[in-house]
Amino acid sequence: MDTDLFLKPSLSDSVRGILDQPDLLPDMVEALGSPLNVVLPHQITDNVERYREVLTSHHLCGEVFFAHKANRSSALVRQLAAGDTGVDVASLGELRHVLEAGCAGRRIMATGPKDTDFLWLAARVGAVVNADSVQELAELAALVASHRLPRVRVMARLSAFDSAGVRVLSRPSRFGVHGREVGLVLDLLDKHRDELDLLGFAYHLDTNALTEKALALEGCLLAMREASARGFSPSAIDIGGGFGVNYLADREEWDRYTTELGRAVLGVRPAMTWQNHGYGLRAEAGTLRGALGVYPAYRPVAGPAYLDALLTLDAPTLGRSMATLLLESLYDLHVEPGRAMLDQCGLTAARVVEVRTTHAGDVLVRLAANSRDISTEDHAVLMDPVLLPPGSGEDDPVGVYLSGNLCLEDDLITRRKVTLPRLPAPGDLVVFVNTAGYFMDFAADHALMQPIAAKAAVYRAGGTWKWCLDEQYWPVKGDR
Amino acid sequence: MRYDSILDTIGDTPLVRVAPEVHGLRNIDLYAKLEMLNPFGSVKDRPAWNMAKEGLAGAIERGDSIVELSSGNTAKALAVIAAMHGLPFKSVTNRMKVPEIKDLLLLLGAQIEELPGQTECLDPTDTEDPLTRMYRMLSEEGSGYLHTDQYFNPRNLEAHRISTAQEVIKDLDGRGPDIFIACVGTAGSSTGVATVLREHNPQVAVVGLVAQKSDFIPGIRNIDEVNEVGLFDPSNYDTIEAVSAQEAIDGMLTLNRRCGMLGGPTGGAAYFGAVRHLKAIDETLTERRTAVFIVCDRVESYMSYVRQRRPDLLKQPPRPNSVGTLTDAEVAAAASVDVAQARQWIAETAPLVVDLRGAFAYAALHIENSVNIVDELFDELLHGGLPIGASRPVLLVCPVGEKSARYAALLTRMGHQDARSLRGGVVAWRDAGAPLVRD
Repeated sequence: MDTDLFLKPSLSDSVRGILDQPDLLPDMVEALGSPLNVVLPHQITDNVERYREVLTSHHLCGEVFFAHKANRSSALVRQLAAGDTGVDVASLGELRHVLEAGCAGRRIMATGPKDTDFLWLAARVGAVVNADSVQELAELAALVASHRLPRVRVMARLSAFDSAGVRVLSRPSRFGVHGREVGLVLDLLDKHRDELDLLGFAYHLDTNALTEKALALEGCLLAMREASARGFSPSAIDIGGGFGVNYLADREEWDRYTTELGRAVLGVRPAMTWQNHGYGLRAEAGTLRGALGVYPAYRPVAGPAYLDALLTLDAPTLGRSMATLLLESLYDLHVEPGRAMLDQCGLTAARVVEVRTTHAGDVLVRLAANSRDISTEDHAVLMDPVLLPPGSGEDDPVGVYLSGNLCLEDDLITRRKVTLPRLPAPGDLVVFVNTAGYFMDFAADHALMQPIAAKAAVYRAGGTWKWCLDEQYWPVKGDR
Repeated sequence: MRYDSILDTIGDTPLVRVAPEVHGLRNIDLYAKLEMLNPFGSVKDRPAWNMAKEGLAGAIERGDSIVELSSGNTAKALAVIAAMHGLPFKSVTNRMKVPEIKDLLLLLGAQIEELPGQTECLDPTDTEDPLTRMYRMLSEEGSGYLHTDQYFNPRNLEAHRISTAQEVIKDLDGRGPDIFIACVGTAGSSTGVATVLREHNPQVAVVGLVAQKSDFIPGIRNIDEVNEVGLFDPSNYDTIEAVSAQEAIDGMLTLNRRCGMLGGPTGGAAYFGAVRHLKAIDETLTERRTAVFIVCDRVESYMSYVRQRRPDLLKQPPRPNSVGTLTDAEVAAAASVDVAQARQWIAETAPLVVDLRGAFAYAALHIENSVNIVDELFDELLHGGLPIGASRPVLLVCPVGEKSARYAALLTRMGHQDARSLRGGVVAWRDAGAPLVRD
């Protein structure tokens, strides 16, 4: 069996620094229990800065909004409020959370499915309402009129666009209107000029393909032109997020791993996954069918670099680069990264409870955590955890399956064999890094009355690492 | 040579020796099979015609479309064949990676559909491969189609078994080569030719070339992708070796410049892979050997491919009167005015106001009475000389005042007496509350 099929995670200096403290994480888990979520609020400030730098390098104005749904940490949102960064909220709960963190209403963007309460509070505090449909705009206008609310800034979300020449297909979306329906949106807005103020158009496509996004951005530009021609003065385009994260340190490891995975599914090498699970691949008559349904964990162009690549792309029909068109048209550009804003902003630690070898010879390492606490597998992000203490360096690497604390067959934290530098022992910690974006507590629950992870914030103060409960963190803490 | 149809000219391509001083092999004669000389320009003409002709009569009767998963030469050949027979042709592809081929397909009347990219918030249950998606789309449309199915259709291999392989054997005096080197795409040409050569001479060595995993070489699959090809069987190859895009371009340059064979990067990869493989065994040989590789298609379609990966190869010297020739000092010395000064100057002197932004932005909002000459066009005009009288005052406007400063400097160098740049550009103009109009 190969024990060198590593998928070593990419680690920031801060995360490496925390892992290198021999007692920090073990003491925290001792105090707060396993599993434990840890967030790094200072990192998110640095990440916002990287996005601002991309906008500045193209001379563009605009706002960076953090897509709140990726993590419910208070520390992270408070840290953003301190830096005057906006937040994109998708529920009444998130909106209240952000307001409580000190974020001004004007810096909030309300997106997603909205009920009347959510719309009322968003309108009340002066948030931008990013609307999914003409009906939603009509409801909002009626609400503003009947409750004597101030005029609300709105954006209309577009989700399907016509392409010339090559037909660019996109997955159908539940949210937003077709580019051809811009006229209907404007008709509605025209009727409610006292209640609604058109800030601009938005899109958010669930794809990593730049060509689809370029088509959507151009669609927004054309909608802006249509609106201007009808006497509106829209000023901003919101392109959502979906810029991606690079999780892995090494391209070669990723290339090698995925090649071997295909070979394992074909049966020409030993299985690398539980029951030879194929992550979407299957073998038919010696040929691989299906598609590898995993996140591209090694991504050379991700996050701010992805945004830069999109802005550098030429518009499909207008010809000039996206950045040039936005700049020349004097439009602001709003971005809403979620996962990509949380790169290196958190980790999840779990204690090893039991190590045993099955009859078939597989090593099972059971953790005091389950696959809902650590949902990297659910999101198909293949990345090795870090074992603490690290070991002497003279040990032999070992391939193990990580299983959870639920009395359910499918509670595997990894359905693939992960390669650890040594065999773990009960009491060791297994640390999953880069879990802040969606993998931390997005779907955690009290199934089987197992505990939900506590969440703590770690920060630098007085030249050392300090920690407190997430709820206790305010931006006055630490050295910044 | 007289033919009744262009389709009759498919095949019978020449086998041309690569001069020993080019490849440097002492004991091996290396031959290129010039498949680029097929009528539609590539090795794919053979399987395209062989796959399409089978169901063609029925398809014509019913008015079916020809469909294929291809973004390259197979699509090109099928588009021609479909058009010649009055049938629509639809190509479904993950991404059109070669823009020249995309334009050519549109010119030929093909419909191209690009499948969506991978989702960002992953749904692990969504494991449809492009082929399944294509079938679903086609059945939704409810119309008939002839799917040539190049990755699984045995008629793809057969085209090479009955023609390409026989031609190679005949041209080598009935003996066939000792070593055959081929790039693996659909595996049609490599497998089709290799099996016949092996039947003829069991000693023949077959080298399959694949692309390095992170690289893209047109027409060649990488080491993982070959496993998705129904026609691919690893036992058909004695070895499989990887070639990088840079190596493919290096090989292509040698073919183009030294051999006069205007093959594209796929042929370049085959040449590079062939020489690399043969160099290693050349030293050990005591008797002469013969090797054959395939030049798949022509170089002309790959200018953007080369430009992207090796811009140095296409670099032109800077043209006269271009902003690229300005020094930082010249740009810094360019005359500029802030918004207040500009408004006063416009009121008193009425300079020509040239807005260098694109037409889309200009049409939305601009400074009253300005002239829109988009920067790309202004560039062209300047190559020929001063497009504005040297004594006519001119105010140049761009978004933030960067480009306009460069053009003001260039006009000044070219002898213009009063060219100024609007400092801070239209953005500053708007921020100062100065009027912008829409005509």
